Amino acid sequence: MTAVTDILHLLFTANLWQATLAAAVLLLLPALGGVISERSGVVNIAMEGMMLTGAFFGVVADLAWHNPLAATGVAMLAGALMATVHAVVSIQFRADQIVSGIAINIFAAGLTVFLVNRIYGLQDVGHVGQSELIPYINVPGLDQIPFLGKVLFQQNVIVYAALIILVLTHVVLFRTRLGLRIRAVGEHPQAADTAGINVFAIRYGAVITSGLLSGLSGAFLAIGISNTFVPNMTDGRGYIALAAMIFGKWTPGGAFIACLIFGLGQAIYDNNSIIHVSPYLLSMLPYLLTLIVLAGVVGRSTPPAADGLPYVPGSE
Amino acid sequence: MAHKRLKFLGVAAAVLMVAMACGGSPSGGGGTKQYKIGLVTDIGGLNDKSFNHLAYVGLEKAKSDFGIVDSVTESHSGNDYVPNLTSFASKNYDLVIGVGFLMQEAVGTVSGTFPNIHFAIIDGAGTDSTGKDLQHTNVQSLFFKEQDAGAMVGVISGMLEKQGKAKKNKGVISAVGGVSIPPVNHYIAGYKWAATMEDPGIKVEVGYSNDFTDPAKCQGVAKGQINDGSDILFQVAGGCGLGVLQAAGQAGLYSIGVDADQKAADPSVIASALKKVDVATYTAIQNVVKGQFKSGALTFSIANDGAGYAVDNLTLPADIQAELKTVQDKIKAGTLTPPADIP
Repeated sequence: MTAVTDILHLLFTANLWQATLAAAVLLLLPALGGVISERSGVVNIAMEGMMLTGAFFGVVADLAWHNPLAATGVAMLAGALMATVHAVVSIQFRADQIVSGIAINIFAAGLTVFLVNRIYGLQDVGHVGQSELIPYINVPGLDQIPFLGKVLFQQNVIVYAALIILVLTHVVLFRTRLGLRIRAVGEHPQAADTAGINVFAIRYGAVITSGLLSGLSGAFLAIGISNTFVPNMTDGRGYIALAAMIFGKWTPGGAFIACLIFGLGQAIYDNNSIIHVSPYLLSMLPYLLTLIVLAGVVGRSTPPAADGLPYVPGSE
Repeated sequence: MAHKRLKFLGVAAAVLMVAMACGGSPSGGGGTKQYKIGLVTDIGGLNDKSFNHLAYVGLEKAKSDFGIVDSVTESHSGNDYVPNLTSFASKNYDLVIGVGFLMQEAVGTVSGTFPNIHFAIIDGAGTDSTGKDLQHTNVQSLFFKEQDAGAMVGVISGMLEKQGKAKKNKGVISAVGGVSIPPVNHYIAGYKWAATMEDPGIKVEVGYSNDFTDPAKCQGVAKGQINDGSDILFQVAGGCGLGVLQAAGQAGLYSIGVDADQKAADPSVIASALKKVDVATYTAIQNVVKGQFKSGALTFSIANDGAGYAVDNLTLPADIQAELKTVQDKIKAGTLTPPADIP
């Protein structure tokens, strides 16, 4: 039972929760992108590919310009570009949105490896210098609060940005006219169209936003946390974000809670040198937690009514 | 309509992917008997900065020394191994090299189908589906004593810690492995064994990231160890392990690289444990060119310069340098034997 006491002991350290929040934010950004996209009625499983593309171009730009802010912008644009492909294919051409998403994920994995070989040859992708990484900033004053200061106010800039984006997403979706329109388009596009809402414009905007957010997460991964690009470095986070979105019933707050659970599992797993239990067993923890929570607490998760259905103007 | 368009798109994407996958291109020049050497990577791909890349380096060196014709195929999934190996074998290549433990079974299968073609496999043997060595007479296994390399960097860490020349000096060092498999654990075994030999009171923490590609995961594990007092961190996790080097750098501590010399990866890298896959690949090719191919295991260690260490961004005190030489000589002479299993 030493493992249990080890974990309990860990739960009372600020380090653990600091790591939990950072790991959660990596998932939260693409999850929020997914929420926005699916609320507008476009199924989006391409977050993994958009994130990977963002990570790659973020590193390329940062190595070229030595400017993490500009590189983050490039990463977001790269993600948005991938999202635009998804939007054109699924909104304009009404293709199956799952297939389009899978195609983008596979394409992104191949494209980035191909470009790594093209740009950097078979050598290392360069390492981004410490000074050119997206900075960690301690919020003056607040970072001195015992425990919470370390968890909430000694973080990467992207973490603060993500928390602001979380609140914004919630407010926009549920408290503004735009949010109402997005949700209307996702629930009943025919009705929304009749009411004078431009269904295509709303859906394009939502899907591209998901690309921007996934790209931002890719930038955090590659030029915030790591200082280089490694093929397939996103390691399935886009899919976990997808799970978080469903787990959170397509709401920003719910997705955030799901991301925190996954993040906590990762943070606990990270301490497997100290916890005396098989690392394999430990790595199951977040998924085990998810199953328990899904079965016992969350209950039925219902997607937006028109999610995944292409809109054909004039159709019934 | 929409579905037709979609299908076209899917096919186009698939074609593009395949076109990208077929990166290898045969090349060569004139000469007398030109040996044809084929190299098949595992899923890590050529720019894994680790053994696939080093195998390629060895191949290129052999190409310039022996004027061989070389061809490389990258595998993108476990299902590619057999077709990729078969492709070279059916074209009567003189030697087909499989890179990595993951290709054991594929090499076992294909070498049985083509008994007249020579095969070499790095980090493994030609096995059946249960992992049993089939001992085909046309297969050479290239193994490494990673524990030799691990021991050398363990000496450095142990002595720095004992002399109070590390950064925190709490008597704690650590290693981050990718997955708990033999080649990874050999490194860690040598490291822990040698560090303990130099500083009997030292605590060596061992963690695993369960990953070989994602630096963020390894960084997390490294941070956990740093919080627990570790001030020298050894990465044994390929691309993932770059996160270890960086975590150490951010915390102002020391780190140790693996497989290749990782001096440039981060200023915190004080040494690297080397597994000279390039030497092994080159040797295997040389044997074929000279008509000295032998089946069975060929082991690379400190004794034959197939494993070793590099001192990187730190000038070691004279006594540590002397101890390194002593330990290296003893391992060479066989009077010291680093263990293969983590003590």
